[in-house]
Amino acid sequence: MVQTQAAMEAYNAYWVNSPLPAADVLWMVVILVVAILALWQARTFVSQF
Amino acid sequence: MDLQALKKQEHQRRVKKGYMWALFCAVLWGLWYLPGTAVWVLNPFDEMYGEIAAGSGDGMALVIVAVLITAFNALTVILALMVWNGALGKFGEMKRTIKEFKPCSKWFFLASIFGGPIAILGSFMAMGFVGGAFAAVAALMYPVVGSILASKWYGEKISRRAFAGIGLIIAGGFTIFGGGVLTELGNGNVMWLGYLGGLMAATGWGIEGAIAGKGLDIAEPDVGLTLRFLGENIIWWIIIVPVLAIMGFPMFKYALLAFEPLTLLVLVFAGITFGFCYVTWYKSFPLIGVGRGQGIGNLYGLFAVIFIFLFFGDVPSWTILVGGALCLLGSTVMFSEDTSEMESLRGD
Repeated sequence: MVQTQAAMEAYNAYWVNSPLPAADVLWMVVILVVAILALWQARTFVSQF
Repeated sequence: MDLQALKKQEHQRRVKKGYMWALFCAVLWGLWYLPGTAVWVLNPFDEMYGEIAAGSGDGMALVIVAVLITAFNALTVILALMVWNGALGKFGEMKRTIKEFKPCSKWFFLASIFGGPIAILGSFMAMGFVGGAFAAVAALMYPVVGSILASKWYGEKISRRAFAGIGLIIAGGFTIFGGGVLTELGNGNVMWLGYLGGLMAATGWGIEGAIAGKGLDIAEPDVGLTLRFLGENIIWWIIIVPVLAIMGFPMFKYALLAFEPLTLLVLVFAGITFGFCYVTWYKSFPLIGVGRGQGIGNLYGLFAVIFIFLFFGDVPSWTILVGGALCLLGSTVMFSEDTSEMESLRGD
């Protein structure tokens, strides 16, 4: 199913009022950074304990 | 350095790591609200909601669409956990744990029943029949259930200081969502179903934590959590979704339509945040105990408000700032606890 115009408008409306630049992409970058940090800590944890 | 000092140092490191995992859980849980909120407006879920609402009403539409979104969430969580376990080299351990059903995996499958359909469905029922703020407040009560059950069942010790910290974080959560609850209590319909949902959320997650604490005595948290989500996927995709389809809801029609790039992308990010948040939650339990792990995990309410402000631009009201301060105070009370109090997490 292709996204309708109404669905895309509603989705884009979420990020319009963000105080951060390019919030529609930045939220994914933040999630990836935190996830990679958690995975790196988990690997460190495995080697330490 | 003598043996006693080395033991103490090792113990302090374990406690520090335990709090770090619980904090990771809270941050990732807070981040989950971004894809978890945005996915609702995307198709096929938006059109599915409209179709069901036209025939069965808004409350029922919310619960049924939530079931499908949660089922997809469980699916993407499994994918994220495969990456996690692959990166940690845990596939061999996973095979061993699955084979040991009676002593090991049964706990995680049991946890999936309480954490999956009972807690998550309860949370959506609370949201659909009363409101989102009520659902959030009801869920905040789960560490009370978890810590009491862990204490009565296998004698997990919870100090007065830790209990005070949990209490402050819950009070902070109440303050954050309290205003919304008062409005919703005046407006909701079919309220008793919403209250039942709230009770299911608090007891479901609390019981899940206590059961997981028991299973983690003999299993790895990373592997145990993956089995828990394997159980949840079976419950959603083999039992609940087909049962709802038999009842006449268009489950499979919209499930097949969900394979759309943007919807899948948002679902994958929901899976990463939810999966990694859950695995770090489980990792904290053997290190600091179920009560403390769940208490710090409750900071998700505060992080959700922060991320929603940063990315959606919803400016927090003064009650949220007061609630946030209470949450921070509660965490400080717990973080600053003397670690010798936690040398043994269980009673003698």
